[in-house]
Amino acid sequence: MIEQYSGIAPQGDLILLRKLGDIFKGRTVLNVNSTRAGGGVAEILQRMTPFLKSLGINARWEVLEGDAEFFDITKKMHNALQGNSEKITPEMWRHHRSVNVTNARKLDLDADVVMIHDPQPIPLVEHKKTGKWIWRCHIDISNPRREVFDRLGAYCKKYDASVFSVSKFAQAMDMDEFIIPPSIDPLSEKNMELDAEDISETLEKFQIPPDRPMILQVSRFDRFKDPVGVIEAYRDVKKYNDCVLVLAGSPATDDPEGEMVLKEVKEAAADDPDILILMLPPFSDKDINALQRAATVILQKSLKEGFGLTVSEAMWKGKPVIGGAVGGIPLQIVHGLTGFLVHSVEGTAFRIRQFFNNPQMVKRMGEQGREYVRSNFLLTRQIRDYLSIWHSIENRGKDILTL
Amino acid sequence: MAKPSAPFEFKQCTSIIKATGMKARDLKELRTLISIIDDASIFHHTYQYFLKGHIMEYTNDFAHWAGEGLEERALSEHLSNIDIFAYKDISELRAKLLAQIDTYSEKFPEPREAMEGDEFYFNETVTLVFPVGIRVKNLAELLMAIKHVDAGSIYYHFYEARVRLGEGVDDFSAWIKDVFQKTDLVKKISGIDLFMHNVEGIREHLLEFLEDEVQRDMEVVHR
Repeated sequence: MIEQYSGIAPQGDLILLRKLGDIFKGRTVLNVNSTRAGGGVAEILQRMTPFLKSLGINARWEVLEGDAEFFDITKKMHNALQGNSEKITPEMWRHHRSVNVTNARKLDLDADVVMIHDPQPIPLVEHKKTGKWIWRCHIDISNPRREVFDRLGAYCKKYDASVFSVSKFAQAMDMDEFIIPPSIDPLSEKNMELDAEDISETLEKFQIPPDRPMILQVSRFDRFKDPVGVIEAYRDVKKYNDCVLVLAGSPATDDPEGEMVLKEVKEAAADDPDILILMLPPFSDKDINALQRAATVILQKSLKEGFGLTVSEAMWKGKPVIGGAVGGIPLQIVHGLTGFLVHSVEGTAFRIRQFFNNPQMVKRMGEQGREYVRSNFLLTRQIRDYLSIWHSIENRGKDILTL
Repeated sequence: MAKPSAPFEFKQCTSIIKATGMKARDLKELRTLISIIDDASIFHHTYQYFLKGHIMEYTNDFAHWAGEGLEERALSEHLSNIDIFAYKDISELRAKLLAQIDTYSEKFPEPREAMEGDEFYFNETVTLVFPVGIRVKNLAELLMAIKHVDAGSIYYHFYEARVRLGEGVDDFSAWIKDVFQKTDLVKKISGIDLFMHNVEGIREHLLEFLEDEVQRDMEVVHR
């Protein structure tokens, strides 16, 4: 499997992966999360498990089972860790723990390294027998509800290390806390190379003119993604430059606020024929890929963001990106080098016009962006980091590890 | 001619970031934490800056944050102008960082606070060093290898070597001097202003000097 990434991922990453693979050959790594499909964590584990196996590591992936009540509780925990006010009763805490006890009886938790993802399976650590246990937190817990964090923190202390996506998402805890940003898979349908025909097909399907400059934002219809702000920026640009705006998102059937935001976006777009609001069904990865490749400028004008991997997706396609300076976006956009960070509608409009009028800058930043993603945000780097942490935990106290 | 017993082995380093759990919201807190933080964190935020994608306005994370997070431009200029390779150890470098902040704070005693989420997060790293499977015996092979190795390898031999070997020497210069006694070439390489380039810029300079040298060596009639 590693061969598939040759010529795409940095050679050094592949060499290090093979070396670490040799060290851990025949040993067991177990990942536990709470869903087999859907969401970024499952997406990574679907690719990472066979990848580790191809290195000779006995990689296993187990999924925690719980009832609807359990997932309602863990959703509340998730929200509380992100700072929202949630009431979690002692009975809820007991249920959270008891579901984990039941799972611990069924699951084979015996492994050399066990990586537990997010708060749902965090109590499994109480059933640790052997190996090194790592808590992998994918969410921003920089400003958690203290009472919820303290309860979960009691479980955290039993782990050998924890991993966060960004430094500022972490909490000061008395343990090794590693920082591993998420990644994109260059071979997935959303990021693989497409030929001109595939791109034209998508443009035809959505009736997007192929010969006019296109501004694109791919995101849920969520106020934190500021779709109305994007329309305002487009209107400002339109005074000076011809262009079309494409807002591509998924239907928000289970999210009442999403419906409301979509209504606001449609109202803001009014009857402008050059604004296309696309509702993409699930499994539209290839269309998203084609839209990103057809765009002239890609925006991620978020007001609040987790990591914002759509930025890396766009940069991987060699596109100039303008992003809100929030969450993980500044880690991906090095301002002035791989794109522009903005703080306002006006700033967004200004940077779009700058790109429209400077094809050399578009080319240069697009190329630099793609190389930046190659070095920092590909799947191979993330797997390399996980193995490196494992190696580091087994060699605790050493700052430099020579292989 | 090269001594056959002294090939140059390319290595590379990769760093995994570890959070220290400490963060600064303003210059006062930055100063306090710089004074007490582990050497490993100072090392990461200064020497390892060159491994990151960055614009040339800054030469270390502290200067970068002063400029972008606090918008204290003059302070960022002072901090960027610190030659981190001029100090014999981290404690000397730490003292210099503190002195620059103190001088600035005397003139501007009420610096602003960073916006929420823009605080300075003190990190450190675990570094993995590994051979990349390339061994060269002469300058032509060195030229070819430098064209193709990852940026992390150039960083290891050009920047990290100065800390490892001391006295401002990089691995390439040390090997060329030791094996080929080409002092002019060494002088050219040593003359590259390492603060004014990212790793790719350093690669370009190395290629330019090596290509010129290899061409010179191949010519029958010397220029």
